[in-house]
Amino acid sequence: MQIEFKGVTHTYQEGSPFQSTAIRDVNFTVSSGEFLALIGHTGSGKSTLAQHINGLLRPTSGQVLIDGEDIHSSGYSKKTLRQKVGLVFQYPEHQLFEETVEKDIGFGPRNLGLSEDEILERVQEALRKVGLAYDEFREKSPFELSGGQMRRVAMAGVLAMRPEVLVLDEPAAGLDPMSREDMLQLIRSLHESGTTIIMISHSMDDVARFATRVLVMKKGTVAMDGTPADIFLHADQLEEMGLDVPVICRMNNDLRRLGLPLPEGIYEEDALFTALMQLWKGGENHAS
Amino acid sequence: MLRDMTLGQYYPVKSPVHSLDPRVKILLLIAAIVAVFMAGNMLAFLPAAVYIFFACRLSNVPFNMLLKGIKPLRFIIIFTVVLNIFFLPGEKVWLDLGFAKITQEAVMTAILYALRLVLLVMFSSLLTLTTAPVTLTDGLERLLSPLSKIGFPAHEMAMMMTIALRFIPTLLEEADKIMKAQSARGADFESGNLMARAKAMVPLLVPLFVSAFRRAGDLAMAMEARCYHGGKGRTRLHVLKMHKNDWLAILSMAVLIACVILIGRL
Repeated sequence: MQIEFKGVTHTYQEGSPFQSTAIRDVNFTVSSGEFLALIGHTGSGKSTLAQHINGLLRPTSGQVLIDGEDIHSSGYSKKTLRQKVGLVFQYPEHQLFEETVEKDIGFGPRNLGLSEDEILERVQEALRKVGLAYDEFREKSPFELSGGQMRRVAMAGVLAMRPEVLVLDEPAAGLDPMSREDMLQLIRSLHESGTTIIMISHSMDDVARFATRVLVMKKGTVAMDGTPADIFLHADQLEEMGLDVPVICRMNNDLRRLGLPLPEGIYEEDALFTALMQLWKGGENHAS
Repeated sequence: MLRDMTLGQYYPVKSPVHSLDPRVKILLLIAAIVAVFMAGNMLAFLPAAVYIFFACRLSNVPFNMLLKGIKPLRFIIIFTVVLNIFFLPGEKVWLDLGFAKITQEAVMTAILYALRLVLLVMFSSLLTLTTAPVTLTDGLERLLSPLSKIGFPAHEMAMMMTIALRFIPTLLEEADKIMKAQSARGADFESGNLMARAKAMVPLLVPLFVSAFRRAGDLAMAMEARCYHGGKGRTRLHVLKMHKNDWLAILSMAVLIACVILIGRL
C-alpha cells in the first residue's frame, strides 16, 4: 500500500480572522514497510499532516492518494480507509469510554460491522500484541488502570482494526521510562511484522533507533526528507530549526571538533563504538 | 470539524467600540433593549436600526457577522410571526380561514414583533462581538458588586463565568480531538436516525466529561496553590475607568431613546 501526498495544503478556519495555514504544499510518498519518523518543532504541522493520512482532515488544496486513488473522491469508502490506516492520537487514553476493556477495544471492529466471533478474536489478538492478559483485563474498567496500561488498551483499540499503516502521534509522550521502552518495542515489533509505521516524535534518540526514513517539517513545509543517516549529517541545520540530534550524533560531532578523525554523521551507538575502536587500533599500529 | 464553530464569537479587531468600558456597553445594551421595547410603531424602529448600523460600522465588524447572529433564532422568529398572524384579533379582515382570521392589525403586529426580535439579537450580538468574554464578565462583576453587600456572590459568579468561558475553546478542541480519534476507529457521527446519532455521542461524551472533571480538579488545585481565596481584599490588574468615548456612547444612547419616544408620540 502506497500513500502519496500531492501538493497538500491545509488552512484552518479559512476566511475567518482566525485563519492559519498549518501545512503548505506538502509532497511525499510512503511505501509499504517503511518506518517513517515525522519530526519538527511544535506547530510545524506534523499533527495536521498525520490527520490527512486517514482522511480526518480534508486538504484545502492538493490530494492525498492511497494506491493511486484520491481518498476524497466520492467513490472512496471512508470505512475501508479508516480500517487500512490506524491513527493513534497523542494521549490516546483520553478517548477510552466503555465500561470494560473488552468493549472498548471491540468498538472499532464493531463499527466495521464484524461478527461477534471475529470481534472477540480481534480483541484477544490486540490485547496479546500490547502485552496485556485477556482474562485478567477483559472485565476491568479502563478507568481503573494505570497510565501505561490505559495507553496500551487505547493502542489495542486501534490495532483491533488490523491496520496496514499505523500513524502514531508521540506514542511515548508522558510515559515512565519502562512503559516508554515497552511502547517503542511494541511499535518495533509491529513494524517487523509488516505494518507500515508513521511516527511523530520529539525524541531524536527514538528516531535514530527505529526509523528507516525521516521527514523534517518546518513551518508547515517539508524541510528535509531522507534516511536517518542523511538527516543527522546536517546536525547544524536541525539545531537551527530548534531540533535536537541524537546523543550519539552530538557526541560524535563533539569528538570531531576535538580533532578526532571520525567520519561525519554517525548516529548509532554501535557505529560510533566501531569507529572509535578502529581509530584506537589504528593509533596503536601507528605507534608500534 | 467543531473547531469551525464560532462560539463566544468575539471578533478581534481594534475599534472605538471595542475599547469602550464593558460596564458602559452592558448598560447601553440594557438601554437599547428598553428602547426597542418602547418603540410602539414601525417608524420608531428606524432610529434604532440606524443606530445599530452606524455602531456596527464604527466597530469594524462586518455587518453580515451581525446578521449571522440572527440565523440560529430564525425558527423562533418565524414561529412568533406565524402565531401572531393567525391568532391576534383585529378588525380589518384580509382572509378568513374559518378557524382563524388574518387581519391587518395582526400582520402589522407580527412584523413589529419580528423586527423587535431581530433588533434585540443584533444589539446583543454587537456586544459579544466587540467585547472579549473575560472583559465582559469583568464588567458584569463590577456592575453587580454593589449587590454583594446584601449577600449576592458577585465575585464568585464572575469567576465561574470567566472560567466557563475560558474553557469553552479548550473543551471544543478536546471534543474535536476525541471525535477524530473515535472516527479513526470507524465511529460514525453523521448518519443514522436520531436514536442512532444520540447513541453515537456516548463515545464522545464520556471521555469529554472525564477530561472536564480532571481539568476542573487540576484548576482548583492550581488556583489554591496560588493562594486564591475568593473575592475579599482582591485588587485588580486592569482597573476600569470611564473615558471620553464612554460618555459619548452614553450620550448617543440618550439621543436614541429620545428619538424613539418622540417618534412613538407622533
